[in-house]
Amino acid sequence: MNTEPLNPQPADDPPLDELVAYLDGELDELQTEAVEARISLNPSVRREAESLRKTWDLLDYLPRPQTSGDFTNRTLSRLDLAELSRSAPRRVPGRRWLGTVLIVAASVAALVLAGLAGYAGRALLVPAKPAAPPVTPDEEAQLLADLRVIDNLREYQQVEEIGYLRGLAEPDLFGDGEGR
Amino acid sequence: VAGPGETSTLMALRDPDIRLMLRVRDADDAQAFAELVERYQHRLVAVLHHLLGGGPDAEDLAQEVFLRVYRTRQRYHPTAKFSTWLFTIANHLALNALRGRQRRPVVPLPTQESGPLGPRPAEQLVHARTEAPGHHLQQQELADLIRQALDGLNERQRMAVVLNKFEDMGYAEIAEVMGLTTKAVKSLLSRARGRLREALEPYIYMDGTPPHVADEDAEALPSVPTPPDAVT
Repeated sequence: MNTEPLNPQPADDPPLDELVAYLDGELDELQTEAVEARISLNPSVRREAESLRKTWDLLDYLPRPQTSGDFTNRTLSRLDLAELSRSAPRRVPGRRWLGTVLIVAASVAALVLAGLAGYAGRALLVPAKPAAPPVTPDEEAQLLADLRVIDNLREYQQVEEIGYLRGLAEPDLFGDGEGR
Repeated sequence: VAGPGETSTLMALRDPDIRLMLRVRDADDAQAFAELVERYQHRLVAVLHHLLGGGPDAEDLAQEVFLRVYRTRQRYHPTAKFSTWLFTIANHLALNALRGRQRRPVVPLPTQESGPLGPRPAEQLVHARTEAPGHHLQQQELADLIRQALDGLNERQRMAVVLNKFEDMGYAEIAEVMGLTTKAVKSLLSRARGRLREALEPYIYMDGTPPHVADEDAEALPSVPTPPDAVT
């Protein structure tokens, strides 16, 4: 891959990029042989190559994260949402008020119609109250006779027996009779 | 990458991911898209996790990458592996996200001797150098130090490192993903690995083998133990 010739002087250290490319297997056959010759002849080159290799191996200690189990589904969901939002018709900003007015008008019309329908339905379904029958003279006389009872009906309901009320009517009890 | 004279049809026949993507492009096939998400989610989230420095942002951004894949499906041409196209989009979005983070206001923290964010990674490493090389760090502590060393790289170096290390991409593919020349990627990776070595040097011989032994017989050196949770 790399066509740059190495320095033919075996005693010279190869440049760092040549050494790294050698370790990565990126040199052609001739270049590889040249670097290997220097490594075998020069301890410092060998040490340098070894330290580079060991440093590279240290990266294996980095943890390798795994994706969460539903990664594919979440990605496809995001794709669906993104595609839907892209394909949705866009509103013209200048006419946005028109839509709002139409929505309000439709709501008001619906309310009015519902009110009318309710009124009409109630008139049809609930029968009107029948008119009260006329009072006969006898009934009228009876009501007049019971007028005092009717007027005091609430007080009478508060006591259990009529004798108690009669006792209250005795003049001695409250001292406003003739003896005072 | 398709060779000269190699038609996209031939590539598509060989690569099942390209076949899926063509179904997405030509037929809006949701099932094919779901299968691509299923196949690539762990790899993509892992790359973004390393690039963004952890946290919940990685999954959100991975979803964004997949959504972008779907929205730009009509522009897809099977001239490269599907993964190259996927990580090209990921690279673009991740760099935007990182730059967005830098623009956000920083919440002030209580001032400490080494600055508002506490000891810098380099300071911590200098402190750690005073300890014996064979000091047994817990794996979590070691992972944190490596994380800090990775965060010490610039965005492009970090992306190149992550794609090379965890996606096993060659220089040419990284160049395509990042929109660079192969030579630029070679330079980027050599500087990145030099900086990582500088930051992590105290920890590379934690297995007890002193560095000077390497002078005598490099092949006799025991290799760094494979982490139990490392996924290949």
